Amino acid sequence: MSRSTRFDTKKVNSELVTLTYGTLVAQMVKDLENPDDVSKQLDRIGYNMGIRLIEDYLSKTGSGRCLDLKDTADKIQTAFRMYLGVQPNVVNWSPAGDEFSFSLDSNPLTELVELPDDLKQLKYCNIICGAIRGALEMVQLDVQSWVVQDQLKGDPNTEIRVKFIRRLEDAMPAGED
Amino acid sequence: MVIYCIYIVSKSGGLIFNYDHNVPKVENERKFTYPLDIRLNYENKKVSVHFGQRDGINVGHVLTAVNGMPVTGRQLDDGRDAKDVLESKESYPLTLKFSRPKMTTNEKIFLASMFYPLFAIASQLSPEPKCSGIEVLKGDTFKLHCFQTLTGVKIMTVVDRNQIGAEVFLKRVYELYADYALKNPFYSLEMPIRCELFDTNLKAMLEQIDKSGIASI
Amino acid sequence: MTVHNIYIFDRMGTLLYYQDWNRLKNSGMTKEEEAKLMYGMLFSLKSFVNKISPTDPKEGFLYYKTSKYTLHFLETPSGLKFVLNTDNHSQGVRDFLQQIYKEIFVEYVVKNPLCNLNEPIQSELFKTKLDAYVKQSSVFLTKSM
Repeated sequence: MSRSTRFDTKKVNSELVTLTYGTLVAQMVKDLENPDDVSKQLDRIGYNMGIRLIEDYLSKTGSGRCLDLKDTADKIQTAFRMYLGVQPNVVNWSPAGDEFSFSLDSNPLTELVELPDDLKQLKYCNIICGAIRGALEMVQLDVQSWVVQDQLKGDPNTEIRVKFIRRLEDAMPAGED
Repeated sequence: MVIYCIYIVSKSGGLIFNYDHNVPKVENERKFTYPLDIRLNYENKKVSVHFGQRDGINVGHVLTAVNGMPVTGRQLDDGRDAKDVLESKESYPLTLKFSRPKMTTNEKIFLASMFYPLFAIASQLSPEPKCSGIEVLKGDTFKLHCFQTLTGVKIMTVVDRNQIGAEVFLKRVYELYADYALKNPFYSLEMPIRCELFDTNLKAMLEQIDKSGIASI
Repeated sequence: MTVHNIYIFDRMGTLLYYQDWNRLKNSGMTKEEEAKLMYGMLFSLKSFVNKISPTDPKEGFLYYKTSKYTLHFLETPSGLKFVLNTDNHSQGVRDFLQQIYKEIFVEYVVKNPLCNLNEPIQSELFKTKLDAYVKQSSVFLTKSM
């Protein structure tokens, strides 16, 4: 019935994904010239993916609404495993519990990638930040997300920070109070 | 047998009787250090949990006590504003008590009048002809049974989600209503039921159910 | 057992999809008016359920039952609302709705880049898949009486 049998995650070669993504970013670097614009576009693409991906996630896991950021962190962790095949650690909680990081030992998007020196400010993995932001916005959580450390820039691991801003009460589905 | 509460709504949609039999109190106390790891909302003259539920303190719960001192609205009993206390670092550690807000009588009246159109629309939107209104409404934490008499009075009860036999109970409440409210010459129709005999008999019946189950009535 | 009809709303209250299978009575208004009334009712029901609940609800409103039909409700955390009307004897309809969400809606609407998520669904593929999915389900069996 479902197409997931044809699109089995196990059957898609992960290097194909890495390669596709790499080519896309490289093409954008060529087209846009300014690396900051590329980072911005990547974030936007991620956002557009996130707002659709969330439905896939919700329907497959049957999970309910998050009412605590720890819940949210756990669920995104699961999503990383589902969609990228890696399990990040949730680390560096802020004392008020409104900020945390995902730390990835390996990142399928950046395997095989070397950043040239003139692109050091490019946020190659910004698509992940965008996806997190987009997905959470659809479940009425306004967050900021950015890359703190990047293996591409010589850091020991990739760290993605997520900061809770507020619950989007206006966008709350009706009757939810 | 868990019966949480009983409502009677008149033909015109006004709440004429309600009784809370067994409403569980949801209350939690916890010690907090600075900075506070839950987000609070200070709007609408109360302090409520906005995000970050844990240890039974859920989103929507309101602050009822600080270090054992009751809080009314936003104000502590000694006159201080709750927000000032919670936001100053010096006052920590703090023991805060939160509880699920209790329904006020006004809210109950509001809910009763809200159910009235829902009942009617459910019948209007029916895919089958000659359909009644809502008879059972189920949420994940409770079940509401509604029995509408031929005269249009609605008797409702909120019970445990797995409770069976609530229909029988509603019929019995109807009998009590007929006996002790309607047959009382000083009770005027459509007005709130303030009849002692009705109350005592209803309570006696509820006790009987608590003791030996719904089959005993 | 019988399936009467299905409504799918987005989180802003737009009717994304409607289909009926065994509907014997019409509400006597246009589809748009009916959708508005349905959405309004769901809106109020949810708020009603959350307020009257004796303890903290998680999923809130699940279904209601009248003398003739049962309305089953599923809302996703992203605010999509699935409503399925069946007869009063159907079992496991909520799971069935979750399956429709997962197997049909996500697969043929969300993953279809040409489908706009805030507009009524035009996709023929979705329509045929949903129809087939409902018809082969255990909940769907034409009335024997």
